Amino acid sequence: MRIFTFEKAGKPTLGVLRSVAAEQYIDLELAGYAHAHDLSQLLAQPNWQDQIGTILEEHPTHAVQSMAGVKFLPLIPNPGKIICVGLNYADHAKEGGHAIPDHPSFFLRVNSSQVAHQQPMRVPKASSKLDYEAELAVVIGKTARHLTAENALDCVAGYSCYNDGSIRDYQRKGTQWTLGKNFDLTGSFGPWLVSADELPKGAHGLKVQTRLNGQLLQDGNTADFLFSVAQVLVIMSEVMTLEPGDVIITGTPAGVGYARKPPIFMKAGDICEVEVEGVGILLNTIANEVS
Amino acid sequence: MRLLRFKTPDGHPALGARVDDEVINLTELGLPGTLDELLRHGAAGMASVTAAIAKATKRTPLKNVQLMAPLHNPHKAFAIGLNYLDHAHEGNFDPPKQPVLFHRYPTSWVPHGVAIERPKASIEFDYEGEIVAIIGKGGKYITKEKALDHVAGYSLFNDGSIRDFQFRSSQWMWGKNFDRSGGFGPEFISADELPRGAVGLNIETRLNGQVMQKANTRDMIFDIVTLIVACSEGMELHPGDMIITGTPAGVGFARKPPVFMKAGDICEVEVEGMGILSNPVIDEV
Repeated sequence: MRIFTFEKAGKPTLGVLRSVAAEQYIDLELAGYAHAHDLSQLLAQPNWQDQIGTILEEHPTHAVQSMAGVKFLPLIPNPGKIICVGLNYADHAKEGGHAIPDHPSFFLRVNSSQVAHQQPMRVPKASSKLDYEAELAVVIGKTARHLTAENALDCVAGYSCYNDGSIRDYQRKGTQWTLGKNFDLTGSFGPWLVSADELPKGAHGLKVQTRLNGQLLQDGNTADFLFSVAQVLVIMSEVMTLEPGDVIITGTPAGVGYARKPPIFMKAGDICEVEVEGVGILLNTIANEVS
Repeated sequence: MRLLRFKTPDGHPALGARVDDEVINLTELGLPGTLDELLRHGAAGMASVTAAIAKATKRTPLKNVQLMAPLHNPHKAFAIGLNYLDHAHEGNFDPPKQPVLFHRYPTSWVPHGVAIERPKASIEFDYEGEIVAIIGKGGKYITKEKALDHVAGYSLFNDGSIRDFQFRSSQWMWGKNFDRSGGFGPEFISADELPRGAVGLNIETRLNGQVMQKANTRDMIFDIVTLIVACSEGMELHPGDMIITGTPAGVGFARKPPVFMKAGDICEVEVEGMGILSNPVIDEV
């Protein structure tokens, strides 16, 4: 089951893909679904998967729309939390000159740093060092605290792709990465949520790739996580209550632009694609910030 | 003016103005229910508060209301690390050359008077007394000259920190976002009631009455003007965004022997002219 958020009459609206081919979708508002505007709210319904399954089965023809021309919004425009794992692949830690960590590192993104699938990521006026980071995004479906290794994955509604776009000079201005990870319109989230049942347990063993203008620059696999999805959930839920619609982005593999010789940064006109195997391709053009 | 958010006796959240030891229910008089929304109305919003205070006939004693955090749902709450020289030194950090930012989620704090929680996961629960600047007028690429025009007012913050988790990796977020580990309040103080940029105010943190931190806001490495310029370079600031400005020396983990907060303690942050933010400490329930 694949659900996405798009803009209709200026308002976020939810659609469900009719098939993996992504040619048509069912507009959940037209289908008369009660929670058709906010994915966090939809996921908070304990039986959302049955409800959406029923709609797909009933196939209300008046709600079937073509994907052509759909304007995507960030999968969840205003999540309660966007928690990011740093250095979760050994090869990426190494390329940045970091030791293999004993613990994951966490930082946050704020909602205003997000853009949608097919929308431009922005090179800010302040810097030319906009870098890509392909990541698997985990979307929480249940309120959870103090999870255990056994029950951790029960709170996962599904997975998506994230491009954890980073302004490298600002990221490294001080000890904390927050500033370089939160420039407006620099992180992309989508295109859709793939429900957890469609993927291997814990999204294990999936390729995570970045292509910039068609050139393969990152080629990792979630099997190489230092901390698995379940482990990250256990660790994070010791700290805070996870809520439906919270997002955890799980770190990026080696191959980022700043660590290359010579470095590669994204510039206006580029096309960046992040692909997670079995989830989809998150595509963004790159544009300069406009005043 | 002094604004606060509170629960009416029948449990409804409302925005209030405090006048001495009484509260005027502004929401009942047709004003917004949250400071967040009031700030989005800009100068007209503030003028409507002044008008409402002038014509209000009903007042409730402050002691009869239950305070909530001054802001309901701020989109950004950036906190500044190592912004006092003596605090950078006590933690064995080099003083930063640029403001150091991390972020707290609203789930990580409670209002004045409500217990902050020491988590099950750790005993290293530390206090950090701070002032917070609250943005009134949004903007990007804000200049030094205009920076303070964007500040609507100030409040107090206890940037409660779980030290072992904070220092498990290079990124502090982990130890700064435990549920209900920080305090925010008691009220919003409009900028006109304080010195420009909230400079020159004595700031003090007391644990069970004992003074643990004692400094002056003039000793910040990066003043509020500089912080606003730095934050607005990357991000457009919006009404209701928070900048939590950093803590001076005297934190618990740097003491010999270290001092951490435990159930039954009372932690107070006081800033000259701004009041007292007081929170009891309990164990996570």
